[in-house]
Amino acid sequence: MLVCASPPPLPALTGLRDDKLTLLSSSPGLGGTPGETVRHCSAPEDPIFRFSSLHSYPFPGTIKSRDMSWKRHHLIPETFGVKRRRKRGPVESDPLRGEPGSARAAVSELMQLFPRGLFEDALPPIVLRSQVYSLVPDRTVADRQLKELQEQGEIRIVQLGFDLDAHGIIFTEDYRTRVLKACDGRPYAGAVQKFLASVLPACGDLSFQQDQMTQTFGFRDSEITHLVNAGVLTVRDAGSWWLAVPGAGRFIKYFVKGRQAVLGMVRKAKYRELLLSELLGRRAPVVVRLGLTYHVHDLIGAQLVDCISTTSGTLLRLPET
Amino acid sequence: MLGFLSARQTGLEDPLRLRRAESTRRVLGLELNKDRDVERIHGGGINTLDIEPVEGRYMLSGGSDGVIVLYDLENSSRQSYYTCKAVCSIGRDHPDVHRYSVETVQWYPHDTGMFTSSSFDKTLKVWDTNTLQTADVFNFEETVYSHHMSPVSTKHCLVAVGTRGPKVQLCDLKSGSCSHILQGHRQEILAVSWSPRYDYILATASADSRVKLWDVRRASGYLITLDQHNGKKSQAVESANTAHNGKVNGLCFTSDGLHLLTVGTDNRMRLWNSSNGENTLVNYGKVCNNSKKGLKFTVSCGCSSEFVFVPYGSTIAVYTVYSGEQITMLKGHYKTVDCCVFQSNFQELYSGSRDCNILAWVPSLYEPVPDDDETTTKSQLNPAFEDAWSSSDEEG
Repeated sequence: MLVCASPPPLPALTGLRDDKLTLLSSSPGLGGTPGETVRHCSAPEDPIFRFSSLHSYPFPGTIKSRDMSWKRHHLIPETFGVKRRRKRGPVESDPLRGEPGSARAAVSELMQLFPRGLFEDALPPIVLRSQVYSLVPDRTVADRQLKELQEQGEIRIVQLGFDLDAHGIIFTEDYRTRVLKACDGRPYAGAVQKFLASVLPACGDLSFQQDQMTQTFGFRDSEITHLVNAGVLTVRDAGSWWLAVPGAGRFIKYFVKGRQAVLGMVRKAKYRELLLSELLGRRAPVVVRLGLTYHVHDLIGAQLVDCISTTSGTLLRLPET
Repeated sequence: MLGFLSARQTGLEDPLRLRRAESTRRVLGLELNKDRDVERIHGGGINTLDIEPVEGRYMLSGGSDGVIVLYDLENSSRQSYYTCKAVCSIGRDHPDVHRYSVETVQWYPHDTGMFTSSSFDKTLKVWDTNTLQTADVFNFEETVYSHHMSPVSTKHCLVAVGTRGPKVQLCDLKSGSCSHILQGHRQEILAVSWSPRYDYILATASADSRVKLWDVRRASGYLITLDQHNGKKSQAVESANTAHNGKVNGLCFTSDGLHLLTVGTDNRMRLWNSSNGENTLVNYGKVCNNSKKGLKFTVSCGCSSEFVFVPYGSTIAVYTVYSGEQITMLKGHYKTVDCCVFQSNFQELYSGSRDCNILAWVPSLYEPVPDDDETTTKSQLNPAFEDAWSSSDEEG
């Protein structure tokens, strides 16, 4: 006589599901393998595996450097639109920090790397746009999200003088407090306060024009001169100015020297390539005042080094051209 | 693919969708093919290529030795191995050949009876294809970097010419003289392009980092200067607007004319909305560009997501236009690639470089499915001649 089988082992099944969930949400260590595999079926007899990484992977911008022909042939079944994705479990998103993998989270994370003590808190923490690219792999998405943040008034984008392409990102609140502190008691304080109160919230651009300042905001020429003396505006062309950070000269000097030094470390290595883990483990030269990680993010995002993924981790190599 | 075919057959889907999907699949599979070759005639680097828009069969190439060659791209032989032969060429022994390097060639947009070529010898020559004689010559004061004739226009025959001077000249083929001068740029004009959507809209790119859109009927000047920061628009301050942070080398409208792509020596490529001049902020990453003169790049046509093919050093980089993703780098040339053109009927790409070669990038075909093992090892012998005995000991 057959004994009825006991009810199906529910705890074991849920245990299995729990294992899968923990696998999905586990965070691998620095330079470890990506944590999640998502299975796509492009045709019934042709499964193609695809690896995608979670936000916990430290330099997701490096994923792009996979073998190009693999990527192309993977895109081909996509054009015929037959794909079924496994749904991801709900990923927690912190409203303050933004969705993981978004530009907002990247900016907050990078602000932590900025050495505040170095400038005696007189300078607001500045993050570069290229550093955001190293954390958010899709550049167009990163640009659009930064533009949204700029329009909402949360961040200001500032032209850093050494390279027309390098944009610094600062939180508006930080900028405002630092500028007010810097101009405290000086003769141009009035003009600066008027600028911060009326122009900053209204106009989110990088630059300001002559007629905009005089007509729309009612600044006199003498007040504009005060603003330039205060360091809040920098001359761009006859009748137009860039927004600037007072006291940023020191930062720019350290940044340019540090960037050249870190790039030099890669250049002097044998075959002009260095493992990322080895580079971060080395002692920073004295010239590098802002921190090695800060500069590495910038180099990767600005594509001054090529990232190649190897079995020993990410490799940074100088491009041939 | 089979799903698409059956959906098209039953009418569930538009036939255009299948065509676009297959075109995209073919473009994603572009690679060098040992069966396809282009005959090597040029003795110097190849600066420009153009495929005629009527049939997509004939291709013109202009080289830095001043030679212009006409190739037939169609494979009329029955074999798969095919070399695109040169039908005729304007070589160094031709009396009217250009004295210096040919920078741009273009077919007459409406038929293959005529083509135009411009060169560093400060001339724009209009050629009759059948007799290979110059029908007309326009002389300029400065070297000519680029010229373009409108591909859609039926109301005018203007050729826009960009030279080393800051003025864009419009030459009328009907009257044989320069009819317009467009003023507004401050340095040499490196690229000009007419819009494929409107008859009178012209885009010009200059070494002063500015790209201007013009309506040639308007007397008062340019319509828009493109601004990479998308600042406030007002006529008085447009002098500060720049499209790139370096010289702007190349211009290409997308095939529907709604967007414009520009490349500059600041190693960036930007996509602009051509109706209001707004920077769409699509980021393609670093697009290396060291060219001192124009860079000729091209956009695919007829795919579900359009691709742009940009010469990047000695390779060609392929990006999707609207998302900025880099698909691949096509490696094959030995030296810097100067120009590339896309043949949209067969989804083929032809590229010319300083190593005097034109390479043809052809979609890789499906691999033939291997037969089952039984059929391949099946004996070819007539069953009457087959051995009927077996070598095992048990049976008789």
